[in-house]
Amino acid sequence: MTAPHTLVEALEGLPGGEERGFRFHGLDREERYYPYAAMRDEAARRAAFLSAAGLTKGDRVALLLPENHEFVLTFLGASVGGFVPVPMYPQATFKAIDAYIDILAHIVEASDAGALVAMESNRDVVEKLQARPEMHGRRVLYAPGDFAGEPPSWSRPVVTPDDLCFLQFTSGSTNKPKGVQVTHANLVANTTSILGPQGLARTPEDVGVSWLPLFHDMGLIGFVLGTLVVDLPVVLMQTAHFARMPRMWLELITKHRGTITYAPNFAYQLVTKRVRDKDLETLDLSSLRVAGCGAEPIRAKTLKAFGERFAAAGFDSKAFLPSYGMAESCLAITFHQRETPMIVDRVDPVKMQDGIAEPSEADDALEIVSCGVPFPDHDVRVVNDRGEDVPERRVGQILARGPSVTTGYFRNEEATADAIRDGWLHTGDLGYRAGGNLYICGRVKDLIIIKGANHYPQDLEWAIGELEGVRRGNVCAFSVVRDGTEELVILAEANRADAPRLRQQIAKVVYSDFGLQVADVVISPVGTLPKTSSGKHQRRKTKLLYERGELPNHGIAPAQD
Amino acid sequence: MTRPELFEMFQRMATEIAEKDFSDVTEDSNIQELGLDSLSTLELVGAMERELGVQIPDEQLVGIQTVSQLLELVEKRMSA
Repeated sequence: MTAPHTLVEALEGLPGGEERGFRFHGLDREERYYPYAAMRDEAARRAAFLSAAGLTKGDRVALLLPENHEFVLTFLGASVGGFVPVPMYPQATFKAIDAYIDILAHIVEASDAGALVAMESNRDVVEKLQARPEMHGRRVLYAPGDFAGEPPSWSRPVVTPDDLCFLQFTSGSTNKPKGVQVTHANLVANTTSILGPQGLARTPEDVGVSWLPLFHDMGLIGFVLGTLVVDLPVVLMQTAHFARMPRMWLELITKHRGTITYAPNFAYQLVTKRVRDKDLETLDLSSLRVAGCGAEPIRAKTLKAFGERFAAAGFDSKAFLPSYGMAESCLAITFHQRETPMIVDRVDPVKMQDGIAEPSEADDALEIVSCGVPFPDHDVRVVNDRGEDVPERRVGQILARGPSVTTGYFRNEEATADAIRDGWLHTGDLGYRAGGNLYICGRVKDLIIIKGANHYPQDLEWAIGELEGVRRGNVCAFSVVRDGTEELVILAEANRADAPRLRQQIAKVVYSDFGLQVADVVISPVGTLPKTSSGKHQRRKTKLLYERGELPNHGIAPAQD
Repeated sequence: MTRPELFEMFQRMATEIAEKDFSDVTEDSNIQELGLDSLSTLELVGAMERELGVQIPDEQLVGIQTVSQLLELVEKRMSA
């Protein structure tokens, strides 16, 4: 099959008939099956309605569509119409609405969206958003109601590879997300790499199964756009259902004989813990040839535990496929070789503080999972502060180049110039190469440097997350400068009753595992830590709140000015 | 199912999911302060949904802060 040049061309080229298509498990728990031809027809209908709403080629369309099939069909409608979809994430449950409306208002303004398509169930949010000046003059359409009936006449535009396919707003370190431009050429380059012979090597028998949210690259590109580009049928379940019933993910793989799935590290950890012995008997994961892992630091321990737990259900640990990437490179940058055992590098934790990944067989060695090698036609470098390439096993910033890399952030020259220099994407991630493979250690700007030694906050957070009463992902480690000295601060979310015990235990772990003194431990109520839409905490923002004295601390009154 | 029974179910399921003691939780407790993260809270909602045979749409969970507010929502969906 010759690769298409755009998403629109890909959609046109998909086979007809009932055999191949997308299966959606809706929020209403109903299953909807759309053969490719039905998706294509509905996309053309929606394109007509969007066109009639006054949009012209290249106009942005913000999408607030928590129901997966509505999201996919409207996204494709926008693509066919030559418009640029801007996915927005749905409101988090149990959270206040104001901060959320601020972010939506920022996104519609930064993308200069001509229209917003939302669902009836989001009417409350949309009406609050419409009261904001940023929404002035922008049309609102509701799906599916406003796409019902006879479509108006319209003319199909020519969509070229250099046209924008969509804008991916990344949360970044502040609440002002930036819109990564993804062109059709970027999309095709990345997805044919991911699913092509050097990547997952898609076969006609493959079936993808995913619960990943569609407003982020891993779910959107990995399981909707990329799979359409290469004709790979998928089963999509709602993220809300995964959260409510994690094992449903594995049940769907069993039911549909899924061969490819992907998830962040935490999801593998969660199902390992949640699935009971009696559930194992009803699960069959033997069809799974790719269990991808990415989007957050990958822990060897987590994947090994999953592999051991689910071996009884036919899971083969060779299916694990650790990978590395970011929205600025479409989705993926490096991939582990499919269907081979994952590679775990064991390195000396003390030497790592000096940026040297020295192999170690000691019990206290850090285990770092290989994220594999770059795709053909793509390059990766690891450089020091002066931009010079570092040798193998020396930690530096990871740079990436190739046809998947973005042309920049939408209408944001400053951020673009900062991220892409001399044609190289500066990822802001730290890593090292060994034996040709890439290993990720953390983020450049978050590095904690105390007494000349580098500490990766993820490592501290992981260790503290193992303490009773603390949840992994709800710990934040960072340093502050006091009187010219960098000092370590740990913030953990926990119950008030656990606070005194945890303050002691955290200090103890930090000392025993890392040899560090913690200058301050803040135990805050659960829900305090600022998080991105994908649930990662925002370290820099947390640090800022801390420095302003705005983080609540159980049992300790705020400082009086 | 009576309200005290519903509350008891909430406590039992929270204990199973978070693997900690929730015996001192009251209906006035703030959900965010129970030591459950957002994922666990949704898992708890999912467990109650299955046990009671109800469905609670995400958008109705927005703005829910206390245990009693959540239980009221569950009761409302049960009688719907």
